[in-house]
Amino acid sequence: MNETNPSIPDTIWQHWNRRLSPLLRQRMTLLFIGNLILVGFIFYHTQQHEKASFLDELSRFSANVAPVTLAAIGLTGIIYAGSIDISVGSIIVVAGTVLGIFYEYQASALVCFAACFITAWSLSVLNGYLIRLLRLPAIIITLGGLAFYRGLALFLAQLSLQPFSGQISIQQEIYHTPGKQYASLILITVTITVILWEIFGKTPRYWLAFGCSENACRLRGVSTGVTQLSTFFVGGLFLGLASLVEITNRMTIEPARMLTGFELDVIGAVVLGGTNIFGGEGSFVGTILGSFFLYWSGQAIFYLGISEYWRTAIQGAIILAVIGFDCIIHKKQKQLDELR
Amino acid sequence: MKQWTLPILLTIEMIVLVPYSGVRFESPSIFLTDFGFYLSDLCATAAPLLILSFGMTLVLMTAGIDLSIGSMVALIACILSLFDPGLSFWMLGIPCGFLLAIGLGWFNGWLIAGLDIPPIIATLGTLFFYRGLCEVVIGGRENISPAPVWLGDVYGSVPLAMTLTGLGGWYFYQSRWRREIQMLGGNRIAARYAGIPVQRRIYETYLLMGILALVAALCASARDGSVKASWQTGLELQVIVAVILGGTPVHGGSGTIRGSLIGVFIISVLELGLMGLGKSELKPLLLGFLLVTGVALNTHFQFSGSEGATHKE
Repeated sequence: MNETNPSIPDTIWQHWNRRLSPLLRQRMTLLFIGNLILVGFIFYHTQQHEKASFLDELSRFSANVAPVTLAAIGLTGIIYAGSIDISVGSIIVVAGTVLGIFYEYQASALVCFAACFITAWSLSVLNGYLIRLLRLPAIIITLGGLAFYRGLALFLAQLSLQPFSGQISIQQEIYHTPGKQYASLILITVTITVILWEIFGKTPRYWLAFGCSENACRLRGVSTGVTQLSTFFVGGLFLGLASLVEITNRMTIEPARMLTGFELDVIGAVVLGGTNIFGGEGSFVGTILGSFFLYWSGQAIFYLGISEYWRTAIQGAIILAVIGFDCIIHKKQKQLDELR
Repeated sequence: MKQWTLPILLTIEMIVLVPYSGVRFESPSIFLTDFGFYLSDLCATAAPLLILSFGMTLVLMTAGIDLSIGSMVALIACILSLFDPGLSFWMLGIPCGFLLAIGLGWFNGWLIAGLDIPPIIATLGTLFFYRGLCEVVIGGRENISPAPVWLGDVYGSVPLAMTLTGLGGWYFYQSRWRREIQMLGGNRIAARYAGIPVQRRIYETYLLMGILALVAALCASARDGSVKASWQTGLELQVIVAVILGGTPVHGGSGTIRGSLIGVFIISVLELGLMGLGKSELKPLLLGFLLVTGVALNTHFQFSGSEGATHKE
């Protein structure tokens, strides 16, 4: 009678399992094991060093990993639908600059947070709107955005703050609340919400269907414009949260220099999590595990005693290797699609 | 739009921005002297971009893109800066730089042709990877460039750039290679069925990009005099915007080196104008805007009149 009256855990498990391909399940299992090994490795090393403490390491974890994880969750939805946004780092820089400007004009902390969140969200929606309006590849629009938004951040800072020394320093503790005190809470809440949404929600499935075939969606009567724009709309909400956590965790905001390479970390986390870079397949849980793996591998490099200068190169190489591996797996399918 | 649109745009841009770039209009002789200096400065600024835009035009024609050229140029210049000026630079530095340039170009080609990673993702990855290697090589230092100064001024870099793009463009226009990379950019499956070695052509294009990055690194480092890990950040965007403004579509299959040449001058005039105005921070803002506008015009209005034909230099 199990089939007629399935117990609730079985139903959730079946719901989720139906959504995931065997390849995706395999990737997530590997990532889970990889994360455990890395955490074990770091635990071992913190026990060896007198100055290092595993509890300190864990306390720093949420604040450091939350921005990439939140932005990667947002980007996962966008990649589901076959688009991409490589301007996420620059959008966060603009949002941070807006927060800094409001701070300099002595706005209250809540107003600053709202301004930061709304800026990031609206720029993400603007990207989606431009992609629909101009009918251009998402990657080109957002490549333009990558430069444009960083320039915009500098321009806004110089226009509003005179003199502008190149950085905005935020000293008051209350302006650091979301990043320093609530990062764990935000991360856990978003993670649980996203997992439930992935299991029971309909919208992610629409996005995946759109990523598989825009034409099929159109024929089925799904509004393609709304579907594609909704990925940026929802992605913007996550990006807004990511901006808030990232910016409020910093003492200084430097529009010209900060967060270079952030977009690669975010794309790396998404692809590492098993989401197909061409759309149509993926998992939010995979993305979360992927971003955790990237963070722990960065920490492992640190505990191995490798020079700080090598860090960018090694992390770049890890992400490239993962994306390359992903593309090799999908190569045959892509060639078959080409021949259809 | 017709082919004269770009030269007219360039002329209008020069009329607007030249007065802010230090050219005085007090008398004809003063104007001519100032304008001569301005032109030599403009050409020397444009030369490395011109060299890279030649390669980028070919890359875009294959429906690819190379975002890593800024980091590639910086990495080559960082490695070259480890050599002493003089004989050891020419005997050891240049061969090492050449091997490195081939290696970097080959690596990009391998990621794109061998592993089938989308070019924009692969080269976004190598952008950060190569930049990370720059930090590994010279750390936080600023090294003096051993490249001779004449390579960076108007008498060295400009003839070099013009010869490379002129002779290269002439050979390219006539060659079967041009038709093959145009075809694989236009329709990769058709190109494969037509017996064109698609993978080899992609490798060759990115290898050429690597070699051109070496030449550009020599010119630019000789002009600037010193290099550091963050040197030439954002160079890739200038080159891509120049090529796209020049009429090469991002979806491949066509392109003009002549158009890219005018695109490079549009970018260089803008750069000098913004420097003269003291508003250099507006550069990324304008580049981003120009990139999206250029692609939109190319896609929807056939902006530069490149109807699938490649014109010679």
